[in-house]
Amino acid sequence: MHCPILIAVVIWSSCVDSQKIRGISLSYKRFYRERKSFLCIDGSKLIPFDQVNDDYCDCADGSDEPGTAACPDGRFYCTNLGYRPHYIPSSRVNDAICDCCDASDEYNSHTACQNTCRNLGQRERAEVKSQMRALDQGLRLKQQLIEEGVLTWRDKQAQLRDLQRVLDDLQTQLDDLRKEDARRKKEVDALRELEIGALETEENSHRSHIMNESPVSIFYELDSNRDGRLSAKEVRAKLTDIQDGERVLSEDEAVALLGGGHHVDLSRFEETLWNSIRIGHNVTIRGRVPGRLVKGEPVLKAAVSAAEKAAAELKKVEDAYETVYMEIRDLREKLATDYGPEREFLFLYNQCFQLKVHEYFYELCPFNQVTQTSASGAEVSLGKWGSWAGSPQHRYSQMKYENGEPCWQGPTRNTVVTLTCGTETALRSVKEPGKCQYVAEFQTPVACRPALRQQGVHSEL
Amino acid sequence: MASFIERMYLQLTLVLSISLGIIQAVDRSNFKTCEQSAFCSRQRALRPGQSSYRALLDTLELSDSRLTLQLLNNNNKVRLLLELYRLQGNITRVKINELKPIKPRYEVPDVLITDPPTEPMSVVAQDERGVVLSLGGVDRRLYVNAQPFRLDIMEGPKLVLSINSRGLLAFEQLRMRKDTDILEQEMEVDQPGMWEETFKSHVDSKPNGPSSISLDFSLPGVEHVYGIPEHADSLRLKNTDGGDPYRLYNLDVFQYELFNPMALYGAVPVLLSHNTHRTTGLFWLNAAETWVDISSGQVGLCGRTDGSGEVPQTDVRWISESGIIDVFIMLGPRPADVFSQYASLTGTQAFPPLSSLAYHQSRWNYNDQEDVAAVDRGFDEHDIPYDFIWLDIEHTDGKRYFTWDKNNFPQPKDMLQGLMDKRRKMVTIVDPHIKVDSSYKIHSEIRSRGYYVKNKDGGDYEGWCWPGNAGYPDFTNPEMRTWWASMFAYDQYEGSMENLYTWNDMNEPSVFNGPEVTMLKDALHGPWEHRDVHNLYGLYVQMATAEGQIRRSGGLERPFVLSRSFFAGSQRYGAVWTGDNSAEWGHLKMSIPMCLSLGLVGISFCGADVGGFFKTPGTELLVRWYQAGAYQPFFRAHAHLDTPRREPWLFGPDNTALIREAVRQRYALLPYWYLQFYQAHRTGQPVMRPLWVEYPEDVTTFTIDDGYLIGRDLLVHPVTDEGSRGVTVYLPGNGEVWYDVHTFQRHDGALHLHIPVTMSTIPVFQRGGSIICRKNRIRRSSSCMENDPFTLYVALDPQGNAEGELYVDDGHTFKHETDRQFIHRRLRFTSNTLSSRSAPPPGNTIPFPTASWVEKVVILGAQEPKAVTLTSSGGGESSVEFEFDPVTLVLTLRKPDVNAGVDWTLQLQ
Repeated sequence: MHCPILIAVVIWSSCVDSQKIRGISLSYKRFYRERKSFLCIDGSKLIPFDQVNDDYCDCADGSDEPGTAACPDGRFYCTNLGYRPHYIPSSRVNDAICDCCDASDEYNSHTACQNTCRNLGQRERAEVKSQMRALDQGLRLKQQLIEEGVLTWRDKQAQLRDLQRVLDDLQTQLDDLRKEDARRKKEVDALRELEIGALETEENSHRSHIMNESPVSIFYELDSNRDGRLSAKEVRAKLTDIQDGERVLSEDEAVALLGGGHHVDLSRFEETLWNSIRIGHNVTIRGRVPGRLVKGEPVLKAAVSAAEKAAAELKKVEDAYETVYMEIRDLREKLATDYGPEREFLFLYNQCFQLKVHEYFYELCPFNQVTQTSASGAEVSLGKWGSWAGSPQHRYSQMKYENGEPCWQGPTRNTVVTLTCGTETALRSVKEPGKCQYVAEFQTPVACRPALRQQGVHSEL
Repeated sequence: MASFIERMYLQLTLVLSISLGIIQAVDRSNFKTCEQSAFCSRQRALRPGQSSYRALLDTLELSDSRLTLQLLNNNNKVRLLLELYRLQGNITRVKINELKPIKPRYEVPDVLITDPPTEPMSVVAQDERGVVLSLGGVDRRLYVNAQPFRLDIMEGPKLVLSINSRGLLAFEQLRMRKDTDILEQEMEVDQPGMWEETFKSHVDSKPNGPSSISLDFSLPGVEHVYGIPEHADSLRLKNTDGGDPYRLYNLDVFQYELFNPMALYGAVPVLLSHNTHRTTGLFWLNAAETWVDISSGQVGLCGRTDGSGEVPQTDVRWISESGIIDVFIMLGPRPADVFSQYASLTGTQAFPPLSSLAYHQSRWNYNDQEDVAAVDRGFDEHDIPYDFIWLDIEHTDGKRYFTWDKNNFPQPKDMLQGLMDKRRKMVTIVDPHIKVDSSYKIHSEIRSRGYYVKNKDGGDYEGWCWPGNAGYPDFTNPEMRTWWASMFAYDQYEGSMENLYTWNDMNEPSVFNGPEVTMLKDALHGPWEHRDVHNLYGLYVQMATAEGQIRRSGGLERPFVLSRSFFAGSQRYGAVWTGDNSAEWGHLKMSIPMCLSLGLVGISFCGADVGGFFKTPGTELLVRWYQAGAYQPFFRAHAHLDTPRREPWLFGPDNTALIREAVRQRYALLPYWYLQFYQAHRTGQPVMRPLWVEYPEDVTTFTIDDGYLIGRDLLVHPVTDEGSRGVTVYLPGNGEVWYDVHTFQRHDGALHLHIPVTMSTIPVFQRGGSIICRKNRIRRSSSCMENDPFTLYVALDPQGNAEGELYVDDGHTFKHETDRQFIHRRLRFTSNTLSSRSAPPPGNTIPFPTASWVEKVVILGAQEPKAVTLTSSGGGESSVEFEFDPVTLVLTLRKPDVNAGVDWTLQLQ
């Protein structure tokens, strides 16, 4: 329904552009051609043209008062010749605060604003220039770091492959060794079982090493005077301490071995001393080489020793496997971390950056952690590597470190690190705007983006 | 600010490295019950009955303005001296002291603005049973009954109030300690706690022995009593039978509990009673620990012949630990009369700088100058106005007040200049505990001048507070106050500038290692014990600080000082807030009755920490709190150190917009708020009023404390429930109409109105018959809006009339008072004519030049005129364009373009 009016306005109005309308940009000039009436830009109302910028808000969209503070959500265009033009809320027009560098917002206040656009423009151009220089240098450095990153990445990949090969070898070894180990263990078990079986089946429970000797033959061997009895003296002459072959048994010990008497016959021998010899815990026959007497033991011993050796070998390889496995896992983890689209952040791995802020000492180890150390030396974790946390467009502009030391009545400490473009890589600032919530600025060439050049150029007017 | 227990907890958790969990609420065991307070327990053991006192009529002496009479305690023969005064403005003063105390008892100084002017009293009748005195008026009389002693105030045949009718007058006379006085004459037995009292590990040595006092008041026909802040409780006071009395003892209570008679940070011993016929007030002028028992019920009427038998009655009993009985009975009869009467005794609300009525942004803490600049920038980027940014204790050099942290605030003047460039201001905290550190100028001066409070042995009293070991200046000493005030001079307070103002926190005083987190009662302020002066300490701190701000400007500029602690009379020195509340819906709701209660007893400049101090508010709660806070007198967001940041733009664009809108509504209404404070300053009427104050005969209003009035003309009922879809608002006034200020929809009075709400709704209504001036051009700060034009909202009553006022001055100096430089206009709409005329008698004021003009007039409930003519002071006539909306009946007059300070008339044809 507004169209006819619009057309009518266009037809009836003589298009004079005599008076400058305050507070509008060039592109809006066409809405403000001086005619009899003015149509609010949202089309909501038609008002006499002399009500434009008359310090009374007629249009709901504020379009009739671009140059005054009359409308609640209006905006005022600072032309700012020599600097950057921009809009300010119209509530800042004539509020005795200089907002536009060309002073155009304070045309009716007691505050004398200077036109600072030229200076600002010069300063900004200089700044932009130096920023561009830094950006260019940063981007070159970034390219180097990306190339280095590519090499590092290849190295790491190769390292990973090598480690994988080592791991595979170890795996093969492990398989063999496990088999060997199992075989050895089985052997020992079999021998043990055999021994236990022998001990159990033999009525008088001979120890295996005198399995083939009869009590009778031993009795007559010990009976030196062949009187058909063993005396304590004969016992002391023939038997010796199993621990100490040189020691002569005492009379009491001999008597004790004979069951408390000074003599025993064969049958009493079988009940007393024979048991002691057979078990072989305390005494054995002097001069008798155990090998000659014992037949089963060396076999078992050898088997046990072989099994132990195999187990040790296995352990060694298992440890090696574990070490290599962990190394691979760490490396994989490291390689799985998002180092940016061109892996430009890879070079930060295993590096740490420090900054002293008053009495605190901060350390950022990218992709690892952030810590704070006080003058007293107490170290507090401000968060462990969490994730990239920039806006969807600039994901790699912020890092988040989480789950640091917990706070009283609050959550755990965390740190948001903002990456800024610069020629050096350094921690620039650390702050705690909210309790236990830290923000850090980390400068590095890899945060430089060619897009920044466009922004810089854009602002350079 | 937080209190001691919290800090202890922090230390404990650090030391033990284990989580002990979060304390959810106050640790009640840190604070005394009446039972644990020896004098309260002794006094409460005395049950109602026949008084042991009798008036000795033969001792009666009557001068023109004063009647004295001795009272004899029949039990111990101790004599008291009763003094009765008839004060101007329908006030009766009753003073009772020992006739011959062995040493003087404390009488509260500095609270009354003047020795109250008296009026002649005369004896109307006298016999052996008593005396009848005329209190003026047609038939207002005071009956003194001799035995038992009792006072009755009558108006005609109606009993208004009785004193000692329940026989609870009790006066512990000062005495020598028995073990030092072997010739014991009195037969009274010492009771526990009379000469020493222990609470937790704290020993109160009580060298003066028992000294407590008590008196009862009966209010026949009264069911509703109010006042005696500060308590986190409903507006209407509750019956204390079977529970603890309301306690008045200024304390730093950590995470205080709601609906509880426990003492909080401030105390105003003023109680108001109200029924449909009359409002009265009781002002118990005593600064010692005080307990107030309230007992309401039905009493049989002896001798009534009509058989109705029972009437409601409220009995009030006051118990104080020391001092004298000095009570002012303010007889109303209308609420406005009681406010005037109380104001005539203790003064009115200080007229604050206009900017202090705008929005304040605070948090514990803004970390450094850069942080301050970033927050300041944030407000501009998000186009939200603010006037003050606040710095809490961390801004100082090691909690040494009047200093700045060297690392974080190296250039305070640059920072203040940056704010001044935006026409904004700053507040820094200055607490009354002074770090004991010989290299700290403030400390060494106070010590060398002997200005510290002393302990009972005469050495400087020391306690723990934020700086660690701290001394407490004796603010009761006028010399000390003068010295303190001088410390605010620009050359003394280094880095300060004219846009720097002050916040006095922890002035109960808070002593982390003291009994009940405050000072030992046997500490000494000159000749007086802390016991006697405790509740006055906070008032004196604010008094001295405000004085300092006035002096630094050579007496030209109005001060702005916020205090946590307060007493009767504190209204003269600045603003108060409800202390360390919590981010809970219940605390948001409670902010209304707490500030209403303060308003009733003179302290209008009240607010609560927006968002809640402890804990973290959900976004909905934060937005609702901004909406509610925008319509409370003192509007400041504040937060605890350990809570996440909550500047208004941190919760997404939608919530930023909601908060922006709430703050903008505040700024648009600043002319109205300023007018209300001007009126409060002149007349003592509260700014934030319970509905019953304006509708005293409407019993429905008597218990309402979720809606209230700002002045007479705006009714506010903020949304204080989570997930609320609607609120039920009571609009008072039979035959009146109210207009929704956002939609201009008209509603009838004397009914409950249900209105649906969304997140953007702040239910506010303008009274039909009123004219409210707004400034609709919302700028960065209130100062930026100084010369902006007004829009007049004329809300017609059913008869087509409306009235309002406009007040304009420079907004920050005393020139309105010293030079009478201001504009005060009376706006009247009647017979289709809107006019602006000077409100005070012409010729008395020096015309205040203003650039402000009238840009628009919005008439609500109007009819369409044929033409509108403006007649301005010069006599010139011009026609004014207008628009009329026949659906909403809103008539908008376009750009009358007359100066706000001149006479004009708008005629609707």
